[in-house]
Amino acid sequence: MAKSPVFLILLAFASPALAQRVQAELDCAFTGTDFVYDCVIRLKPPVAGVHISVGADMPSMPMAHNIKPVKARPGKVPGEYLARLDLEMPGEWAVKLRLSGAVRDLLVLRYTFTESGTAPRR
Amino acid sequence: MDEYALGVLTNIGLVSFVALSAYLLLIAGELSFGQQAFFGVGAYAAGMATAMLGLPLPVAVLISMILGAAAAALVALPTLRLRGLYFAMATLAAAEMFRILFELLHWQIEVGGERVGPDGTQGFRGIRWVFERGVEPDAFLAIVWLLLGLVLLLFLVMERSRLGATLRALGDDPGLAGALGIDVERFKLGVVAASGALAALGGALYAHHNTYIEPRNFDIMLGVHSLAYALIGGLGTALGPLLGAVLDIGVLEASRFLHGYRMIVFGGLVALLLVFRPRGLLDERTVRWLRARFS
Repeated sequence: MAKSPVFLILLAFASPALAQRVQAELDCAFTGTDFVYDCVIRLKPPVAGVHISVGADMPSMPMAHNIKPVKARPGKVPGEYLARLDLEMPGEWAVKLRLSGAVRDLLVLRYTFTESGTAPRR
Repeated sequence: MDEYALGVLTNIGLVSFVALSAYLLLIAGELSFGQQAFFGVGAYAAGMATAMLGLPLPVAVLISMILGAAAAALVALPTLRLRGLYFAMATLAAAEMFRILFELLHWQIEVGGERVGPDGTQGFRGIRWVFERGVEPDAFLAIVWLLLGLVLLLFLVMERSRLGATLRALGDDPGLAGALGIDVERFKLGVVAASGALAALGGALYAHHNTYIEPRNFDIMLGVHSLAYALIGGLGTALGPLLGAVLDIGVLEASRFLHGYRMIVFGGLVALLLVFRPRGLLDERTVRWLRARFS
């Protein structure tokens, strides 16, 4: 049913599902291995029990980089999650967080990855 | 299918739209480095239509295709009198103008307590129509490939028709085509507009897949890749650009151990192909041979 043409047509004019919005910020440390980063994701407000899949795309080369999404694991503090990102080069990346479980959302964070860590893109 | 495979297949489908738009111009004898601009017009237009105006996605896609066609025609009006590299340079300059326009575009409104809309270089967030309707990545992949299949079918029918023959005649020798009674300028304007609509369709889907776009998405790199896909795959059939995208992304994914140097592999592949098969793997000769063998 999920992929039938009737479903797709009905979907086209369906109303949106209600979604609780959260925000997130990212803090990554360069591991010393090209270009692998250990990242801490902090959800605001802090929500536990969220499954986070972390992907990334390079805005200047859309669709050219297919970074394998990784599952983030819960950290020690509620709302904190840990993930190791294996990027292909330093530079500006759009990090895509797909949240499921306690919260369903899709967040895109703009960060610059350098050989020391990350900084939000301005 | 895992999330990674879904992402790769969706990206191949999305980039194939812009590659097909470059292919359409190539068979009409024009080399464009500017198709990313119309991909961008489609992405912004469809994003604004669903996220800001609350229109359903099919309507947004239609609007984006009309605007993509209009933008391409607008670029074509002063540039179509140019030939070869001069036309290519003009399309590149026009695409950069569009990208700068996206950087200057600031129009945000409050939707559900949040500011939504293009915010210049900060990008355009919240294009969540697909996500909010619970369309999972596998269902979106089905939508992308269904539309791509329809476009390919249209191309294959067109290429076997009189319209396709006219298009190829125009690409081979516009002077001769004109002498045979074809209104070269008007025909080419139509082709450019159709290619703009096609790129815009891809852009509209891309924006809704990503939920976020920014002007840098639509710079020269996307234009070069789309042109390369058409040239690698071949100019003998519309399946060529799709083959080019599959091969390129396939090679890039298979050479993941090379990290950032994979792009050098991509460049080398394009250079080698342009030397040994200037009209791509599925060029006109190969397609004729395949048709004779299998028909």
